[in-house]
Amino acid sequence: MANTMVIEGVTAAFNRGAAEARAAGSPEWLREKRLHAWQVYEETPFPTRKVEEWRYTDVSQFSLESVRLAERAGAGVVVPAAARARLEGKKAAGRVLVVGADVAAIELDEELRAKGVILADLAAAAETHPDLVMTHLGTKALPAEAGKFAALNGALWASGIFLYVPRGVRVEEPIRVVRWIEEEGTAVFPRTLIIAEAQSHVAYVEEFASPDFEAPTLSCGVVEVFARDGADVQYVALQQWGKGVRHLSLQKTIAEKDSNLDTLVVNLGGSVARVDLGARLEGTGSRSDMLGLYFATGDQHFDHNTRQDHVVPHATSDLLYKGALYDRSKTVFRGIIRVHPKAQKTDAYQTNRNLLLSPDAEAVSLPNLEIEADDVRCSHGSTVGQLNEEELFYLMSRGLTRQAAERLVIFGFFGEVLERLPLPDVVEELKTAIAARIG
Amino acid sequence: MPQNELVTSLGLDEYKYHFITQAKPVFKAQRGLSEEVVRQISAHKEEPEWMLKFRLKALEIYYSKPMPTWGGDLSDLEETLDQIYYYLKPQDQMERSWEDVPPEIKETFEKLGIPEAERKVLAGVGAQYESEMVYHSLKKEWEEQGIIFESIENGLKLYPELFREYFGTVVPAADNKFAALNSAVWSGGSFVYIPKGVKVEAPLQAYFRVNAEQLGQFERTLIIADEGSQAHYIEGCTAPVYSTDSFHSGVIEIIVKKGARFRYTTIQNWSKNMYNLVTQRALVHEDAHMEWLDGNLGSKLTMKYPSCYLIGKGAHGQILSIGYAGDGQHQDTGGKVIHAAPYTTSQVISKSISKGTGRASYRGLVKVYEGATGAKSNVECDALLINDTSRTDTFPYIEIEEHTANVGHEASVSKIGEEQLFYLMSRGLSEDEAAAMIVRGFIEPIAKELPLEYAVELNRLIELEMEGSVG
Repeated sequence: MANTMVIEGVTAAFNRGAAEARAAGSPEWLREKRLHAWQVYEETPFPTRKVEEWRYTDVSQFSLESVRLAERAGAGVVVPAAARARLEGKKAAGRVLVVGADVAAIELDEELRAKGVILADLAAAAETHPDLVMTHLGTKALPAEAGKFAALNGALWASGIFLYVPRGVRVEEPIRVVRWIEEEGTAVFPRTLIIAEAQSHVAYVEEFASPDFEAPTLSCGVVEVFARDGADVQYVALQQWGKGVRHLSLQKTIAEKDSNLDTLVVNLGGSVARVDLGARLEGTGSRSDMLGLYFATGDQHFDHNTRQDHVVPHATSDLLYKGALYDRSKTVFRGIIRVHPKAQKTDAYQTNRNLLLSPDAEAVSLPNLEIEADDVRCSHGSTVGQLNEEELFYLMSRGLTRQAAERLVIFGFFGEVLERLPLPDVVEELKTAIAARIG
Repeated sequence: MPQNELVTSLGLDEYKYHFITQAKPVFKAQRGLSEEVVRQISAHKEEPEWMLKFRLKALEIYYSKPMPTWGGDLSDLEETLDQIYYYLKPQDQMERSWEDVPPEIKETFEKLGIPEAERKVLAGVGAQYESEMVYHSLKKEWEEQGIIFESIENGLKLYPELFREYFGTVVPAADNKFAALNSAVWSGGSFVYIPKGVKVEAPLQAYFRVNAEQLGQFERTLIIADEGSQAHYIEGCTAPVYSTDSFHSGVIEIIVKKGARFRYTTIQNWSKNMYNLVTQRALVHEDAHMEWLDGNLGSKLTMKYPSCYLIGKGAHGQILSIGYAGDGQHQDTGGKVIHAAPYTTSQVISKSISKGTGRASYRGLVKVYEGATGAKSNVECDALLINDTSRTDTFPYIEIEEHTANVGHEASVSKIGEEQLFYLMSRGLSEDEAAAMIVRGFIEPIAKELPLEYAVELNRLIELEMEGSVG
């Protein structure tokens, strides 16, 4: 074996054989797609800190050296009570429970099923609806060529979820998904594909959760969302992993004519989180509200890398990311608004606000603009600061303790993000989660 | 007279300073760069051994560093760097009086308006022609105050100890590739020392230009503003247009000591084939104020980010920047502020205008180190786009390690509003006049900080550039 060529990121657990194994039983086109992705993965160098996008985050945290591939358990999958509890009592039009590499349970409102809504295991959908999956999975949104980790996921994804909403169908309650990791030291590769046809409506809320782990555990996911003409789509990712989990998530949304495609990215858990979110405004009159909320404590490190791509005239994107930092945590926000030459009458905004609540926390903010059209309204703003002493003083003069006053001000700070989310139940859950973190 | 004709009659056409005079350099090093060239420069300047060593070490660093891959397009630069002369000396002697300046050089200065500046009672002129100071006058009263305003070469010769104490300490040779290049082949520039408590009323001005074709200009300026002093240094430059690319890479080092106030104003109007890659940095001590006023109008590509290192308690840094990018130009400018001491404050205001195929980029850094208690910084960037082919970018870096710091950044991008134009035209202005007025209003917050003659020239330039640009 001495003369075997060493390829970066290829280990005993992660190699072409693993991609082959994942392809077992799938249609030929999908098998080829996975192997192509693996090829791209091998040919793409592992990013380093010298690459501008990885300047502030230690990419070796996402190394495959210290994790093993989460295997499919198939029919024998055990659903932990803690995972099941996360879905209980929540209003939903459909529910999906993922444990490790398995989609353990899927249920969908019968009426919606009758209307043609599909909520399925992505691997199964590749067989039942090849026309839809083949044309959207890893094609124009996040193909293997998008980067090292997109290629890795493209080759090894398991526990994929496919949501399809036909033309004109309105899904009133959200689709709720819980992605759970039970086994310490494993690597999971979640994949989500959402297609909302013209004039349809759907909200998709996925939660990432696990127990606390000692050993590094990895989640490397890809999300692709398509909103056709006039569709109204909300995608929400609530990252609440236990300690020790490294969360890497690549998300791409494509908004067609007059559609509305909103996202909310929440980072609360895990030890390191990196989210790459690209919103492509591809149809005139389309709109994306991009919300972000992060709350970092201990030694947590969160890195957000967002992109607002305006390629046609008359589209709007509005980004607001807010975070609070405690202890020795560090957060990074890197956002770019890119207005292409033909995208006149673009409205694009970007705001990042950080509360530094501890002497050892560190916030980095890089709001970028690249504007190649002249008739646009674009602005960005970024702040790093503390709780306003005057506001605290006012509340304390009304009888609140300092702690209660601080809590209220922090809630107010995040309120600006939450009030823009049209999902009242999710907002309530988030408030509870934040309250638990403030303590 | 209609305003358009007025502008034309001022003779500010396409490129006002597009002329070439026949100056004969006394000494010309060979084209391209080598250790031999560096040794020649040092020997020619009769430098002490330590400076030769410094240059040779810098040359090594220059060779070892890769070309930057960020900022502007430098892909043609390597070829340019092989073609230029790294050193030219137009005369053997430094000129003290105007009469001794050779006539063809005088002619060049005449066209640039230098004699008028000279006639001003309060203004001092250090004019740089080609690579070196050829003419340098210092008002008597300044000499009496103990102010040193010399060419950088004379600074090294006459004040060796003061020079050595500070030279290369603010911008070390290893700072970046072009600082290393400048450190190896520097020639020309100013050496300024303002003694303790001395207030200089009139600005110190250096007016210089590049003349010989493919002449590299590696000016080096070292300024020390001692405790409690106050001064304003102005540098402006203009160069004739040539067909092949030219290159300018300066290094400006400023030390602002405790309680001193220093302002450095640059208006850069290099011809549009020039690469202008400059490192400007100030070390700002306790309670001192440093202000950079940076105007970038010319060059093909400028990469310049004046910076303030706030290293003393209560230090203040201010960067005001105007960028104008016309057809084919890229202004990649901005500023850097490093807060490394408690209660330091800073403000950055950047205004850019992109016209035709021009591209204006703001690139800036605000860094607050842990321990810089109560540091405050505010950055504002506004961009104005004139045509649908124009481009603007904003790339701010904000790194905050101190939890008591307050840092804000805001940027906006806009075009000339139809409503604004309509209003002004309804009051009788032509479309061009209205557009020029709006642009002048846009840069006014910075233009008003300029010395009058610069502000006037800037306004004229904008009127000219706005002709036929809208509608």
